[in-house]
Amino acid sequence: MKSRSRKIWEQPWGYAEGFIVATGILLTGLMLQLTVGNIEPALFASPVNVIMGASLTAGLIAVYFLLPQNKATKWLSGVYAAVPAIVLLLLLCMILGLTPQLPLSTGRMQASDNLFSRLGWVQMTTSWSFILLCFYILIILELTLLRRTRKKQSWRDIGFYLNHLGLFVALLAGLSGSADLKRFTMSVQKGQVEWRGTGQSGETIELPVAIQLDTFRIEEYPPRLVVVENMTGKILPAAHPESYHFVEIGKTARLAGVSLEIMDYLPHAAILRDSTFVNVVPMMMEGAGTAIKVKVAKPGMEQPVEGWVSSGSYLFPHSTLPVDEFTSIVMPPQEVKKYKSFVTLYSEKGTNLQAVIEVNKPLSVEEWMIYQYSYDNSKGKYSDVSIFELVRDPWLKVVYTGIFMLLAGALFLFIAGPKKRTV
Amino acid sequence: MSWELFIYFAAGALLFWIMGAIAALGNRHRALSILCTTAGLLVFAFFIAALWHSLERPPLRTMGETRLWYSFFLPIAGLLTYLRWNYKWILSFTTLLSAVFIMVNIKNPDIHNKVLMPALQSPWFAPHVIIYMFSYAILGAATLGALYYLVKEKKVSNPERLMQMTDELVYAGTACITLGMLMGAIWAKEAWGHYWSWDPKETWAAATWLGYLLYIHYRLKKNASHKLSMILLLVAFMLLQICWYGVNYLPSAQQSVHVYS
Ligand code: HEM
Repeated sequence: MKSRSRKIWEQPWGYAEGFIVATGILLTGLMLQLTVGNIEPALFASPVNVIMGASLTAGLIAVYFLLPQNKATKWLSGVYAAVPAIVLLLLLCMILGLTPQLPLSTGRMQASDNLFSRLGWVQMTTSWSFILLCFYILIILELTLLRRTRKKQSWRDIGFYLNHLGLFVALLAGLSGSADLKRFTMSVQKGQVEWRGTGQSGETIELPVAIQLDTFRIEEYPPRLVVVENMTGKILPAAHPESYHFVEIGKTARLAGVSLEIMDYLPHAAILRDSTFVNVVPMMMEGAGTAIKVKVAKPGMEQPVEGWVSSGSYLFPHSTLPVDEFTSIVMPPQEVKKYKSFVTLYSEKGTNLQAVIEVNKPLSVEEWMIYQYSYDNSKGKYSDVSIFELVRDPWLKVVYTGIFMLLAGALFLFIAGPKKRTV
Repeated sequence: MSWELFIYFAAGALLFWIMGAIAALGNRHRALSILCTTAGLLVFAFFIAALWHSLERPPLRTMGETRLWYSFFLPIAGLLTYLRWNYKWILSFTTLLSAVFIMVNIKNPDIHNKVLMPALQSPWFAPHVIIYMFSYAILGAATLGALYYLVKEKKVSNPERLMQMTDELVYAGTACITLGMLMGAIWAKEAWGHYWSWDPKETWAAATWLGYLLYIHYRLKKNASHKLSMILLLVAFMLLQICWYGVNYLPSAQQSVHVYS
């Protein structure tokens, strides 16, 4: 720390100037926020974002080559500028991670009026302060990269270029490309063809691709049984709730202090109930529920109780088996294991293909990616509606280029480690 | 393998690890220490493999299951550090930390059932979580180094060497969280349609990453203060804790898609 006696803004610049400049960027962002409000991503849709991205990149190259000896560009391409910029971005990230965010479709007028909403921090990722800081970091990254090309190159620099160029590419394409991102949900009835999608702010639009839902299928996990406290509805034991997964008829198990014996199992059952008892009969029809007949014994009870338990369906109410005054056996709704749609796709350009769309297995058609999104929850496994999400992101390839460079850079970092210093 | 047997395997592994740590404290039992620590790791690994087999899915879904991996990776990080740097105290610390996580899991096991929701059924799931747990363990070891420095400050015999160790650990750990984060991004694209949505879990992952980038870049300058570097490491590790489980308790996490059970 030789430079103790140096005054602020006196060359060479250090961390103090770094914090002043970064804070200045942040304050500029806040001023813009207060005067013009949140950034409207649609305004930056292509070609505006392309022009801006290209001029930023080219402009900095020009500045760099025209003023190679300039003290400010030198400083901007160094750690003294980079560290404060990252500190402030980290602070904004922490605020973003602490405050509940409003969906982007919520207008400024609808947001409740407090300090954070005025500063744009309830929609952080489209607020001026956040975006400007990101662009400031992009500037530092580019100048750092440019300056490094002038130095004597060594094998270690591969890692440096992969990490910093990769981050530059992914961040620039991700930020400016988000203006061109389109997402729609599309709800399709079985047997029908649907062209209309619903956008993020609720508008319905005719899309260039259509989905015909041929079949929709849900696979469920085996049913579970739990012991529930009647008063509270809590699953026992209260400290760490347990459940028993059905395997087959005849099995016995201990669960929360009671012993269970599985007497009978009907995967497709009609559950009929009058005021006195529950009657369960096989029913191979839509709307059937799953039912298990179980015998329950509890220490201190004279006789075991026996009866049917079912999670019900949209047709039948669920039914529980009271064990004593305090506890009952309950079958929670079965968890969904997989759901998938068998579809035929049409497009304006003449695509006509059959495909299966499943969670984690989206389908790519022309420039659209189609995701299995949801279904009619109220009908559960008998849902005859499948909901898809259609996403169009023309910048994805560029972002992925950056991401793969970063992946390679991370591997490099892992293997190469820090530069050896002479101790 | 059922969870009830965990206590026996954990006790066995811990016994080996404690012997390894004690052997490391004396200066002449390096081979014995390595042998014991490895034996403990094998016992623990066997339990994880058998649990994986019996659950019919990777045991990575619940907090309890990620703690299981963490208590496994910590002694690995400790062993690697010991092999590379010969710090005799590191195995005691990682064993102690691992024991804490084992105790938490014995006292408070999460529900271990076979259910894996559809979004988690992806080939990215296991590498994503495992590499994150591994990086947490390495960065945990770096944090131990930082604490050691901050507690003993003036009495650390060779601070440059200690800094070199934390540098190496942070480079390796940051490389791994970068890999984990980007795998997560690619997976999110497949599962949810976008690679980054600033969901609270993702935001805190970004904050953690930025924290370690700060350390790396701050350290590049020769006049960087050791003390401030080590404090940065503590701050970054705190961010990591929030990312790992702290988000579950934040008001912002009500909307999160990454908070399970
Ligand atoms: C993917 C994330 C990043 C990683 C893994 C990373 C890693 C590194 C490493 C290892 C070095 C030292 C290179 C060497 O000497 O061989 C370095 C240097 C540097 N980085 Fe980064 N960095 C990242 C992001 C950033 C960001 C976001 C900025 C800017 C805000 C930045 C600015 C710099 C600067 C200015 C240097 C010094 C270059 C020099 O002195 O030649 N880095 N970085």
